[in-house]
Amino acid sequence: MNEHNAPTRTPIDPLRERILRWISGSGRGQAFGHLLSRLIALPQLRRLTASEIPWTPLVRPISEATVAIVTTSGVHLRRDKPFQLHSDSSFRVIPRETKAADLTITHQAYDRTDALRDINLVFPLERLRELEAEGVIGRVADEHFGFGLSGSAKALLAPGRTVGRRLADAHVDLVLLVPA
Amino acid sequence: MTTVALALVKEVADAARAPRMLYLHWPFGHALGEPGNVAQQRTILYDMLSMARAASRPGLVIELPYRWRRETYPPIVDWTADSVAAVSIPPD
Repeated sequence: MNEHNAPTRTPIDPLRERILRWISGSGRGQAFGHLLSRLIALPQLRRLTASEIPWTPLVRPISEATVAIVTTSGVHLRRDKPFQLHSDSSFRVIPRETKAADLTITHQAYDRTDALRDINLVFPLERLRELEAEGVIGRVADEHFGFGLSGSAKALLAPGRTVGRRLADAHVDLVLLVPA
Repeated sequence: MTTVALALVKEVADAARAPRMLYLHWPFGHALGEPGNVAQQRTILYDMLSMARAASRPGLVIELPYRWRRETYPPIVDWTADSVAAVSIPPD
């Protein structure tokens, strides 16, 4: 993929970038990254998750289903306002026809090097369009959603519900949730 | 709506209490795999679609068996057949 077809990244602190490369590229780094992730996420999840898990079976075959992606990898349209790097609970809308070159990644908690080479790693819209063309899925939804890094899971509840309503209003059948 | 999630940290996958969760031992930023590895990315989507269709109860966290950078991914022959990796129920 040549540079003109590739997504861009919002720059982050160079030292932080080196730390993220280490976290991604070494066993010790990955263990450290997992530890950080657990320390930050687990107490919040334990407070916020409900005792009853929501459950909606598929209402139609996948070959007839409308499918959408929600990602927390900081992906957004290049022309949109970037996420705040430190913490941001807002979302951005990404239309179904978006090309990789139209996208930017704004996130400071993972090594984005490979995702910038192939955005499908964190936002598989191109792969979904192929599956639509092959008849594997019914339709790629008109709108997909990107979130950035949020330090507070609680702050994501309201925007999450807004995204849920928009997906429901668009008659989306299946939502694929992809993390950073 | 039906949802299927991916996760890269096992304890977070368990604690999220999502309706359907697939967990991978892969690095952050690589939930669908390696750049340019279309067969790998399609395999993960196949697993997600299978779980959407076939998960038998809410709250399942299924660990996918793919080793990082050490697998080959055969083409998906029948997308309507359930992925073995994504629908095998983990022991309680």
